[in-house]
Amino acid sequence: MVRILNFFFVSFAALSCLALYRVSETTRVERVQLSSVQRQIVQEKSTMNVLQAEWQRVANPDRIQKLAQTHLGMDDTPTLELSSFDLLPRRGESTPLNSDPVQNASMTTPQQTSSNLHLVVANGN
Amino acid sequence: MAANVPTTIQRRIVVAAGICVMAFALVGVRVVDLTIFKGQVTGATVVAPAHIVATRADILDRNGQLLARDLPVFDLYAQPHVFWDKAQAAHDLARVTGASENRLTHAFATEHNYVLVARQITPETQDRVMHLGLPGLEFQPAVKRYYPQGSAAVQVIGATEAVSGGKGINGLERGLNTRLISGTPVRLSLDMRIQYVLAHEVEMAREKYDAHAAGGIVMNVNTGEILAMASLPDTPQSAAQGADPRRNRMAQDDYELGSVFKIFAFTLALEDHTARLDEFFPVGPGFKIGRFMIRDAERMPAQMMARDILAQSSNAGTAQIALRSGPDRQRAFLTSLGLLSAPRSEIPEGSAPIYPRHWGQIETATIGFGHGISVSPLAFVTAASMVVNGGRRVQPTFLKQDGDRRGEQVIKPETSIAMRGLLRYVVTDGTGKSADIAGYDVGGKTGSAEKNEHGRYIAHKLLTSFCAAFPIDNPRYLVFVMLDEPHGANASGVMALAGHTAAPLAGSVIAHIAAMLEMPTSAPITVAAKASAS
Repeated sequence: MVRILNFFFVSFAALSCLALYRVSETTRVERVQLSSVQRQIVQEKSTMNVLQAEWQRVANPDRIQKLAQTHLGMDDTPTLELSSFDLLPRRGESTPLNSDPVQNASMTTPQQTSSNLHLVVANGN
Repeated sequence: MAANVPTTIQRRIVVAAGICVMAFALVGVRVVDLTIFKGQVTGATVVAPAHIVATRADILDRNGQLLARDLPVFDLYAQPHVFWDKAQAAHDLARVTGASENRLTHAFATEHNYVLVARQITPETQDRVMHLGLPGLEFQPAVKRYYPQGSAAVQVIGATEAVSGGKGINGLERGLNTRLISGTPVRLSLDMRIQYVLAHEVEMAREKYDAHAAGGIVMNVNTGEILAMASLPDTPQSAAQGADPRRNRMAQDDYELGSVFKIFAFTLALEDHTARLDEFFPVGPGFKIGRFMIRDAERMPAQMMARDILAQSSNAGTAQIALRSGPDRQRAFLTSLGLLSAPRSEIPEGSAPIYPRHWGQIETATIGFGHGISVSPLAFVTAASMVVNGGRRVQPTFLKQDGDRRGEQVIKPETSIAMRGLLRYVVTDGTGKSADIAGYDVGGKTGSAEKNEHGRYIAHKLLTSFCAAFPIDNPRYLVFVMLDEPHGANASGVMALAGHTAAPLAGSVIAHIAAMLEMPTSAPITVAAKASAS
């Protein structure tokens, strides 16, 4: 009986050692992989930081304006906000221009030569 | 029976086996505990890579656009004693890093074991160095402060020391140094779209009028937020012409702003009811005070109503109105607007004003029309905001704010409303007509000050400015522009006065930024058929 018990306990101890070693080894490998992934994440974050900064540089308004004027033939003209979202009519409401009289212009928005219409606003004074 | 009784050795073996079982059971329980129950906790332990260098926080504009960021770079060191050919190594390293070959040759020839080759080299340069295949090189991780917007708002944002992890040396980099070091990103009140428009328009005007320098500020009158601040010239090339591109003229320099200062004389008169806007004053021949005669730059009628005195910018008329308030009251009023102390903000470059120690009658008259007192444009803009925002105190700030930040009442609300009407009158019927933009109801005041050199005012050296608020019935933004020594141009009828130089500049800035500030035009929208000629 004692021998059987001894055999059983020794076997159990040996198996436990093997299991423990396996877990320990797996943990070590995982830790190495984790460290590698973390390093990669840091590297990617660093690259993203550089790319974001580079994007800000290439999207600089000064640069965009020069490119637009050089390659697209665009001109430096003020934009005009005709309305705001708050003033837009809700569904079912009458539109702001319904039967309003057309008034004289005091300021002309930038116009394209190909267009046969242009928007104008009346002087608010 | 006796044969079944365990011997002493057998008992000891059983006890030892029991102890082993307990020990291994404990190990087993611990293994189960670690692998199953606490596995995720232990597995999530993050070990930060050792080479990461502590960085300074980002600076962003109000819309999240990046203005400043630390980027990873490397400091390159060499151990010369392992080089086969030191002269060739110095030559190659100088070629790829841009370092001085003479310095490297000399350093490699000495007994130094460790030589700094170049600071803050980029990853691309690092690649090129690696391709040289030289032994004994060491790359130390470092950071470099990078400003992706180039010279935009360079005087406001500031700069840091050139070394890795260096402190801020000017601008917000210095003023917010502690916060940036702590790693908290800073979101500024600056809007880089507005900043670009302001700088672009001011620079175009500076070139057009061949001005020595120029600048501008856009401020939210209800929060004190500075949306844009430009001081020109600001390019590195301008340093060669004697200008300091890092000098923030809007905050660091004091100017005698001239007639734009009349805003405060009229505000005080309306506040204390010492003058009515429809009251007539004699201005034609000038106004004599003591042994001095105050005259106007342009011919004026013999008598003018108070509102026309401001609209036509009469010095003689404004002097009389200022004198009705008196020296003590005028001084107290300007103090309450913060004009007699340096403005406090996040940038350290505030400038204290210059004003007379003896504040008598003559000083009261001249200060009324903006001479004899020098303030920074930032201080002026802050005070002018209080005049039009309902009369409540605001502090200038470069940090993004939420909601209304107006403080205590400094001026009566009805005075502020009257001043809005008066500033609108200056634009519709006075010297500020060129600043009028249809649909945005601009109100403002021109200022053309003769520059004081060695105690004498020089007639042909002007400092022209325009202070505009819009929409004037309930102002949200204030635009201030300034041109230092503009020259007349054919386009403006060879006149260098503010009405011909600074006013159209302010109008142009407003026309460009109003839509960006989500301000729809108040003018009715119409659609008209295009003329056949066009």
